[in-house]
Amino acid sequence: MVQRTVFPFAAIVGQDSVKQALLIAVVNPKAGGVLVAGEKGTAKSTLVRALAEITGKVQILELPLSATEDMVFGGLDLQQAVGCGERRFLPGILARAHHHVLYIDEINLLRREFVNALQEAVITGVHMVEREGISCRHEAVCSLIGTMNPEEGTLSPPIIDRFGLYAAVNRELDAPARAEIVRRILAYDRDPAGFRLQYAALTEGIRQQVAAARQLLPTIVIPETMVLLAAQMCAKAHSAGHRAELFLLEAARTIAALAGRDYLLPADMEAAACYVLPQRMRQEQEPPPPAPPEQAEGEQTQDQPQEQQQEPPPFEQPENQQPEDQSDSSAAEQPPGEGRDQEKVADIDTQFPFVRMELSLPQDRQERRGNGKRSLTRTDTKQGRYVRAGIPRGAVTDLAFDATLRAAAPHQRFRDKGNCCIAIERADLRQKIREKRIGNTFLFVVDASGSMGARERMRAVKGAVCAMLQDAYQQRDQVGLIAFRRQTAEVLLPVTRSVDLAQKCLRHLPTGGKTPLAEGLAAALAVLAARRKKEQDMQPVLVLVTDGRANTAADGGNGIDEALAIAAKIKKAGVHSVVIDTESDFVKLGLARTVARAMGSSYYSLGELSDKNIMHIVRNLP
Amino acid sequence: MKHTAVYPFTAIVGQDDMKLALVLNVINPLLGGVLIKGEKGTAKSTAVRAIADLLPAMEAITNCPFHCDPGDENRLCDDCREKTGADKALPVHSIKMRVVELPVSATEDRVVGTLDIEHAIKHGEKKFDPGILAQANRNILYVDEINLLDDHVVDVLLDAAAMGVNTVEREGVSYSHPARFVLVGTMNPEEGDIRPQLLDRFGLSIEVVGENQPERRVEVIKRRLAYEQDTGEFAQIFQEEQGKLAASILQARRLLPEAVIDDRLLLLVANVAIALDVDGHRADITVIKAAMTLAAFAGRANVEPDDVRRAAKLVLPHRMRRRPFEDGTLDWDKVEALFAGL
Repeated sequence: MVQRTVFPFAAIVGQDSVKQALLIAVVNPKAGGVLVAGEKGTAKSTLVRALAEITGKVQILELPLSATEDMVFGGLDLQQAVGCGERRFLPGILARAHHHVLYIDEINLLRREFVNALQEAVITGVHMVEREGISCRHEAVCSLIGTMNPEEGTLSPPIIDRFGLYAAVNRELDAPARAEIVRRILAYDRDPAGFRLQYAALTEGIRQQVAAARQLLPTIVIPETMVLLAAQMCAKAHSAGHRAELFLLEAARTIAALAGRDYLLPADMEAAACYVLPQRMRQEQEPPPPAPPEQAEGEQTQDQPQEQQQEPPPFEQPENQQPEDQSDSSAAEQPPGEGRDQEKVADIDTQFPFVRMELSLPQDRQERRGNGKRSLTRTDTKQGRYVRAGIPRGAVTDLAFDATLRAAAPHQRFRDKGNCCIAIERADLRQKIREKRIGNTFLFVVDASGSMGARERMRAVKGAVCAMLQDAYQQRDQVGLIAFRRQTAEVLLPVTRSVDLAQKCLRHLPTGGKTPLAEGLAAALAVLAARRKKEQDMQPVLVLVTDGRANTAADGGNGIDEALAIAAKIKKAGVHSVVIDTESDFVKLGLARTVARAMGSSYYSLGELSDKNIMHIVRNLP
Repeated sequence: MKHTAVYPFTAIVGQDDMKLALVLNVINPLLGGVLIKGEKGTAKSTAVRAIADLLPAMEAITNCPFHCDPGDENRLCDDCREKTGADKALPVHSIKMRVVELPVSATEDRVVGTLDIEHAIKHGEKKFDPGILAQANRNILYVDEINLLDDHVVDVLLDAAAMGVNTVEREGVSYSHPARFVLVGTMNPEEGDIRPQLLDRFGLSIEVVGENQPERRVEVIKRRLAYEQDTGEFAQIFQEEQGKLAASILQARRLLPEAVIDDRLLLLVANVAIALDVDGHRADITVIKAAMTLAAFAGRANVEPDDVRRAAKLVLPHRMRRRPFEDGTLDWDKVEALFAGL
């Protein structure tokens, strides 16, 4: 392994809570490892890599994103098989990480199943290998450290929950401290060895602290009162399961050990709670106790990656923040429309909670091309990530050479090898199985009629669509946007990968006029039909956002009937759909629900969306 | 090595920001590369390929697939490290830094490297066959249309760029090797956007537009025609200018380690970053490094406020887009106001 000179841990400015969380993880594997979250460029990786020189005999093993499964979990030892015709287990990274620390950068980019399997092994402390004719069991006691940038997608709650600790890295907001960061980096770049020497004493101090804490840890007994306190704290935070209590106690013990004490103080429990509870806090019956500001981050990552608590609301722009009366007067300046057909441009409700669109379409054997992250697919191009190898069905198009060799290896003693060292026969051939996630196509059909124009409502609608777009960005989906109002429907954005453009279109979307719902649905059908010609294996999802109050139709007939007719056609075409009902008038007509039924859609009201933090809106597709 | 003719860097009409950004990265490979945005036909690729001619020579360990730097013991590959341990004097030769292209269609195996098939069959042993990241070590890694690159290749690239090391755990091979490179990407924004995470990796970014003055456009065409007619003669015309630029790059490289910056300026940059609310700390660090490089390029050791101002213009624009959709623009007035207080 390439040896790296690292930026000294002690020279990293601030970030004290992350530093402590990392130290807890390296001292005590039972604390459950740590998940470090923060925006890009906040020294997440630097912090973890800097750990390497203070952990003593404990190594930090890094798991690259491109790792194949057999390399992580272990497999057949190729050289042994070729040389001696013997099936012997070659340990993977997981086995090598026993009694060490396993570090995964950008853990949120890895496949969920993969992270699950890894965490499972780490939590049970053993790993069973059953592959290539080998059956083996090895210990895997280690701490898992993961880093992530929530902007690129969050982790599922069960995965977060299996990490004992959570720490948020924040950017420094104090100018002198920022200047100090730059100063130290410049000094390090100029003379790494000299710089490290300056911090050698501090580094040695931390190394000794860690070593002493490891010695001390087994001697720290947890008194009954602390167990009680842990239970109380967890109950107060409404955390599910009992993992939290254990993590809390182990973290507290480790904090005491790091402080050089062999007994626990209530303060240790409080300090531990900052890392253990925030991400597990739930809002049940009563609101949870107010968390210190840095703790709030934890909950945030789980629920709404960047909105809310953080200072600057992401989508708000001053020019859109006109007060109601001003927007009315500006509308009045426009050429007179038909009666109440005044155009308004509502801004976007930036506080709208994150909405996750999750497809539960089964992974089929069909191979798809394309990019994205939402749906797992097999891929027939050589583009995907090589995860494992399999026996080819038909011709070998993408030879998995490593697996082929392993298949051939045990037979070498009996084969005629000619000048080579290995003879390969047809039956040994293995095909690479590559996986990539492809995005789905979400076509948003948004009602922009006058009835939607009430400022607050449209704000919320835009907020909801925006929240869904955020999810679409993270999953690399394709999106399209159709708006209908006045007499027609307009394709504002043909299906594109640029979620950015969709958001822009949405921002400038004016409302006003009648509600040609049928036109909107017809336009959607046309867009999808055209799209299908181009990409036959696309699985589109139509997201209709409306109050359903159709009041105009192309042939002058009944708007509702016409809309229902097209809705039925959409259902027949096998298009998955979701209806988000925006109706909020006192007298509810429930028309959107009727349309949803006709279209075979999943149905949600706007209220439902904003009530729940994570809404799996597309999960229960029929 | 065969030498295919490239259009001389100094013959490119206009596009001063792009040329400057490239030159700064050649002087200081720690700047973090450059993202060049612009429409088709604005000499983006020409400029990147043309910079190859001006790249300085460097010492490299002979026969090392990663052309390790004999002077940097910390970044040697395992092989070189082992050999230096046994016998201090490794054969060294001088090679030119070069531009390594990463095709958009490149597969993950080609990028990170893979199992050496021939070696395995002949000797029954595992051996690592280095990929593009190995070639890119200490060189310029150029990705044309970087916004079209497959996500998982981007991930791998970011992984390597973050630490300057490519770690491979696949196809039966566990291997890691140094992979420090200057990342240069070009993109046409009309064809889709680029992930903020990747965006943030680029030290500098510039936007190129076609020349709009008729005389300049005519000049562009004239030079192109002359180049196509006789590459040799064309190169001759610009030889002197190329030589001058190459010399000043070398001089700047020598001067860079002496660059000093005032504490006031450090504080100013911190305040700019806070006022503009940029993500993380990479912006501050890069502005300062770019300012130091600009000073060195101007033949000075001390950084002046104007260096910082120019650096800010190259470093900050692409960091304004804080959220995936946010289309932030650089509020230059804010920056100027802070400078005025100096």
